[in-house]
Amino acid sequence: MHPRLVSKVLSPLTAIVSLSMLWPLAWALRDGGTDVRAFATAVAVGLGLSAALFLWGRGADYADLDVKDGFGVVALMWLAASLLGALPFWLHGVAPTFADAFFESVSGFTTTGASVIAEVEACPRGILFWRGLTHWLGGMGIIVLGLAVLPFLGVGGMDMFRAEVPGPSKEKMTPRIQETAIWLWGVYALLTALQTALLSLGGMSLFDSLVHSFGTVATGGFSNLNRSVGQYGSAYFEWVIAVFMFLAGANFVLHYRFLRGDFSSHFRNEEFRVYAGIVLVSAVAISAELLRRGVCPSAAEAVRHGTFQVVSVITTTGFVTADFELWPSFSRMLLFFLMFAGGCAGSTGGGIKTIRLLVLWRHMRAGMQGLLHPRAVVHIKVGGKAVREEIIASVTAFFILYMTVFACGAFFMTLIGMDFITAVTGVASTLGNVGPALGALGPMENYSAVPQAGKWGFSALMLMGRLELYTVLLLFTPGTWRR
Amino acid sequence: MNPWLVAKVLSLITTIVSLSMLWPLAWAWRDGSGDDAAIIQSMLLGLCASGLLYAAGRRHRGYGRVSAKDAFAVVSLSWVAASAVGALPYYLHGMVPTFGDAFFEAMSGFTTTGASILPDIEAHPRGLLFWRGLTHWVGGMGIIVLGLAVLPFLGVGGINLFRAEVPGFAVEKMTPRLHQMALRMWGIYVLMTVAAAALLFAGGMDSFDSLSHAFSTIATGGLSPLNRSIGHYNSAYIDWVVTFFMFFSGVNFALHYRMLLGDAKAYGADPEFRTYLGIVLLSTAGVAAVLYRNGLYATIGESVRYAAFQVVSVITSTGFSTADYNLWPPFAHAVFIFLMFAGGSSGSTAGGLKCIRVLALARRLQAGLSTVRHPRGVFQARIGGRIVSHEAMSSVTAFFVLYMLAFVLGALFMAWLGLDLVTAFSSAAAALGNTGPGLGAVGPAENFSAVPMAGKWMLSFLMLLGRLELYTLILIFVPDTWRR
Repeated sequence: MHPRLVSKVLSPLTAIVSLSMLWPLAWALRDGGTDVRAFATAVAVGLGLSAALFLWGRGADYADLDVKDGFGVVALMWLAASLLGALPFWLHGVAPTFADAFFESVSGFTTTGASVIAEVEACPRGILFWRGLTHWLGGMGIIVLGLAVLPFLGVGGMDMFRAEVPGPSKEKMTPRIQETAIWLWGVYALLTALQTALLSLGGMSLFDSLVHSFGTVATGGFSNLNRSVGQYGSAYFEWVIAVFMFLAGANFVLHYRFLRGDFSSHFRNEEFRVYAGIVLVSAVAISAELLRRGVCPSAAEAVRHGTFQVVSVITTTGFVTADFELWPSFSRMLLFFLMFAGGCAGSTGGGIKTIRLLVLWRHMRAGMQGLLHPRAVVHIKVGGKAVREEIIASVTAFFILYMTVFACGAFFMTLIGMDFITAVTGVASTLGNVGPALGALGPMENYSAVPQAGKWGFSALMLMGRLELYTVLLLFTPGTWRR
Repeated sequence: MNPWLVAKVLSLITTIVSLSMLWPLAWAWRDGSGDDAAIIQSMLLGLCASGLLYAAGRRHRGYGRVSAKDAFAVVSLSWVAASAVGALPYYLHGMVPTFGDAFFEAMSGFTTTGASILPDIEAHPRGLLFWRGLTHWVGGMGIIVLGLAVLPFLGVGGINLFRAEVPGFAVEKMTPRLHQMALRMWGIYVLMTVAAAALLFAGGMDSFDSLSHAFSTIATGGLSPLNRSIGHYNSAYIDWVVTFFMFFSGVNFALHYRMLLGDAKAYGADPEFRTYLGIVLLSTAGVAAVLYRNGLYATIGESVRYAAFQVVSVITSTGFSTADYNLWPPFAHAVFIFLMFAGGSSGSTAGGLKCIRVLALARRLQAGLSTVRHPRGVFQARIGGRIVSHEAMSSVTAFFVLYMLAFVLGALFMAWLGLDLVTAFSSAAAALGNTGPGLGAVGPAENFSAVPMAGKWMLSFLMLLGRLELYTLILIFVPDTWRR
């Protein structure tokens, strides 16, 4: 790894995060809130850090950028953003300790949406806006990460998307990242604007609709209301948000193609079809159970709550309209498993991702074929194209790693005294970047009561889940630092 | 598939099961407890069924060419037939309310799971209680042959491929013929049972209890004729004897065989055994430390004794208990759930994923990490110094995916029936891993009687699925299997 080069790359990114705090600062100034000083200080510190990074990395040459540097930049970027982003929470005092502030900020930038703030509505608007904005910035980073960076780093089988990325098909990495990023951010911004407009039309204030759109399109889940989206009690808002969550959990390349006039691109994509299928089947199953067990009085209400919660969890957003902690156990069990599934690759969703599930399913089916016809060579196909052996190997390794990290996380959380359900679902939720879990971390609860060690543990899980595990783990392996 | 061949084999299986009822019948007569009628009726019914199957299968001469499809069907149906016949004594005697309950109990016996639907075990006559233990023992014999001889030849789950690659696993070299090998393995099995029974008897158990528990231990079953399982005796000696034998029943029987032949390094040289031992030691240490820290047991010695017993019981998928671990700290629950998935060694009577697969998955992961770090490097997973072939690794990862999928669907089904989260989750894991008791409402101090009937059938199915390494049973339901 080339530390100076990494520093040079991080410098402008840190500046972007710092400057974006001007937006919440503006809200704070308008309201004359108590958070003005916190934001002003944070911007100053951030710009100072950016300058320091720039000075240190001045002489480095971009041409030296290699795979290890790529991992370093990605992991350190999220870390740096989270540290900077934690400053306003910490300086203002909404988070009592730095661990709390860091947790909140990691949760924002990884678009998880788990919060340690119990009384959200008591916070000044600058802070609330900053929470939403961390999601939105994090989501922008994730899109670039998922479609332009990770495929080239070959993490967890994501290199199967190399061919699908739009933009000029040059082999050079840097120009392509820029090109891709700009197109996809256009789509991202468009979705955000569209949703803000639709929510405003339905009567939501501009502030609320902006914060909720940020949380939706980034599949984050921070809301500025204590009871999240459910507080409005409006079917219109819930359906609008459900639709946009669903879109945010799909591959942004498909949206891009759709906007370029290729209207059937979604349906031709096998991952999207499977994703839609899982959402549909899960929503029907949960709605049916809500109706059958009498949790919801009418079918319309059962479908509304069932669909919203399914979409919210599978896309790893984490908005809530109902306290699903009180739902029958089948619904909770299914939501728990959906935390693992996650959205599509190239979206802002977390989790294992639909494409990997699809590859694992085909791999398992191929195993059966192999038993029946021991001498046959079985190739698996996804989307009509044969999947290379290396990709299957990366995907299975990723799956094993995901389950291993999940198990280790659950051991750790139970060891520091959490009950079984809370620990297991909390780990699944943070690792999948969902947000709410079950038990003591249920949809109407928050993470404030988690012991300090647990908050650091959950922050690490959120970062690992978001950066597709390998990126973070490699940072801690000695081999990465060797020249 | 050749139905006549299947009928012929099933006829043999039902005869064995029916005739083995003579042993509980002897206990019933000795006690005069009134369960002899049910056992005799069951035996006669079983023999009639066997006769009919034989008559049907007569048309098939010789075993000649047995295709893979036939073998899958024979293996799966053998367990179903044994359980159906084995359920008769419970049902005819009326100790269980429905045939579904009786079938559950018998399936739990023959798959050596050890989940029971009897709330008050000690209230039942000894003939039937003995039958519960014997179903384990007979099932265990079946599993040994299945694991060492049948499944490897069918290529299920990749174990055979490891055997060929990992030093000391060359099945074909061990003994030239299948039935000869089976006889030797059974010899070890019987030897271990006799040793366990003798040591338990020496520790103060009566002959009935020591035999029942020896059957259950060596088969890694878990059904006990006592309500409080092994905890009933509250004896450190008995706990450690059972722990020891459970541990060795979870070891590949081929290693025992080699040890008996004088190869002193058989265990130490085996990568799977080392993994298995490592997991057991680490889990015991972790659980014991948590028990001691939380003040559940006064001394370190007691904490280790209870932790070791429960850990070994769960990882070997036996399911005996000496303590109600439902009341233990959540960390122990997390460890137990993990151990239910891990399971014992291949070629043993234990269930679960099996340690060799866990080791292979860990190696796959290591290779994956190396590949990400050095994208142009080629990294091979190695076990015991040898490279694991691509096919072997592929079978293991496919098996892992299928195992998790079966678990997810099973847990969802149990939750759909209205069981609470922990109960649904752990009952599916425990049935699939052939462990027996789970957590929550199906914990070690509880039983499965309150599970809805549909749930009992589902759990019976999961037990069979786990026992037959999933593919064997699932292939029967895949249309492709029946296409010519």
